[in-house]
Amino acid sequence: MIYVKDLSKSFGNNQVISHIDTHIEPGEKVVIVGPSGSGKSTFLRCLNLLEEPSSGTITFDGEEVTSPNTDINKVRQHMGMVFQHFNLFANLTVKKNIMLAPVQLKLMTKEQAEEEAMRLLKLVNLEDKADVYPIQLSGGQKQRIAIVRSLAMNPKVMLFDEPTSALDPEMVGEVLELMKQLARDGMTMVVVTHEMGFAREVGTRVVFMDEGVIKEENTPQEFFEHPKDPRLQDFLSKIL
Amino acid sequence: MEKLQADIYQTFILKDNYLYFIKGLRITLIVTALALILGVVLGLLVAIVRSAHDQQPMNKRGLVLRVLNGICKVYLTVIRGTPMMVQLLIMWFVIWNTRATDGNLICCAVISFGINSGAYVAEIVRSGIMSIDKGQMEAGRSLGLNYVKTMRFIIIPQAFKNVLPALGNELITLLKETSIVTVIGLKDLTKGAMIVQANTYQAFVPFFGIAIMYLALVMLLTWLLGKMERRLRQSDIR
Repeated sequence: MIYVKDLSKSFGNNQVISHIDTHIEPGEKVVIVGPSGSGKSTFLRCLNLLEEPSSGTITFDGEEVTSPNTDINKVRQHMGMVFQHFNLFANLTVKKNIMLAPVQLKLMTKEQAEEEAMRLLKLVNLEDKADVYPIQLSGGQKQRIAIVRSLAMNPKVMLFDEPTSALDPEMVGEVLELMKQLARDGMTMVVVTHEMGFAREVGTRVVFMDEGVIKEENTPQEFFEHPKDPRLQDFLSKIL
Repeated sequence: MEKLQADIYQTFILKDNYLYFIKGLRITLIVTALALILGVVLGLLVAIVRSAHDQQPMNKRGLVLRVLNGICKVYLTVIRGTPMMVQLLIMWFVIWNTRATDGNLICCAVISFGINSGAYVAEIVRSGIMSIDKGQMEAGRSLGLNYVKTMRFIIIPQAFKNVLPALGNELITLLKETSIVTVIGLKDLTKGAMIVQANTYQAFVPFFGIAIMYLALVMLLTWLLGKMERRLRQSDIR
């Protein structure tokens, strides 16, 4: 579904990602872990071109995302993204947050979008929050709404950039639960996270990134029980 | 006390002098309102060009954007670097240079003040745009909305709310600054008072009179802006 070929990204002289090759298949749940500064977030943000890669190509659904002729806005409609800091639109109510993109991109009428928004809010048990502004919500509620806001676009793949890192510990569970539900429904997911439990339970493939390269990737079981790369062994010994 | 009463009578009632004030007030308000509209439109455009340029990574700035940004920068430097009165004099006596009808004078004043105000509004709005968290733009773009739509529905509304106090300040300044249109001979509120003073040899009542009128207008505007601010603050109430 997403082919990444020889992807590199540098900020000035600082090379953050170097020559990454990987392929994400439909239905896969790829979990990317690694120490901070290892380039995992940058890699994820390259996939929908929030960061412009310095070199290399990304192909999504047969279309070369990195080609200058590609309409990136069209591509992004099919790639949902969830951010560490939720990034709900502060000037819009919860319902309008969800409705904005589908209506503005003429994928739905206002009525359809409203119906869809209410259906999604019911899914996350937040229908009573439809008309409040994001500032009135808890972190966990914000992130669940950010997730369904992406879902309203009916994406083919969802990218998660440390979705639980900014949450109070007691709110992590509700967000992870929603992500697990998504996974069960067959969504293709790429998740950057520090939640090793989630990686083990939900991931179909776990990727260890360090210093801008993929040091090791494997099934969760092999990954956590028989890590081969010394840096990964060190990393796991510190966090598990 | 009786002297003051006589002065007030002489200033406002005698020979229908109050007409100078009413007509003057009308012109002051027209010039302020139209210059405000022009200033906000100009300012918004310049602010968007400037912040689009500054938020774009170096290698992605197109030639058009760079040229537009250059023009905007020159505009800001020149307008903010020269006195309003000089700009008005140049606009009227050098560039306009036609018959001094009221219509001509008003047009010239509106354009001069609009261009001047636009420079200040641009910097105010730009500071507002720059103050919005980067994540808001990223979230909009990640959903497939283009730059313009994200600006229009997400960034500008939030930026506008944040800079409303500063914009209100600019509006108040503009209202008071229009009094310098007297130098090109437009009969605004201040000019009205000057004419009355010249006719009646009274200075106290006419000038204090217009001072009170300006003050009342500013207080009215402050009140209106306060109301508007409270309405826009809806999304900030926890």
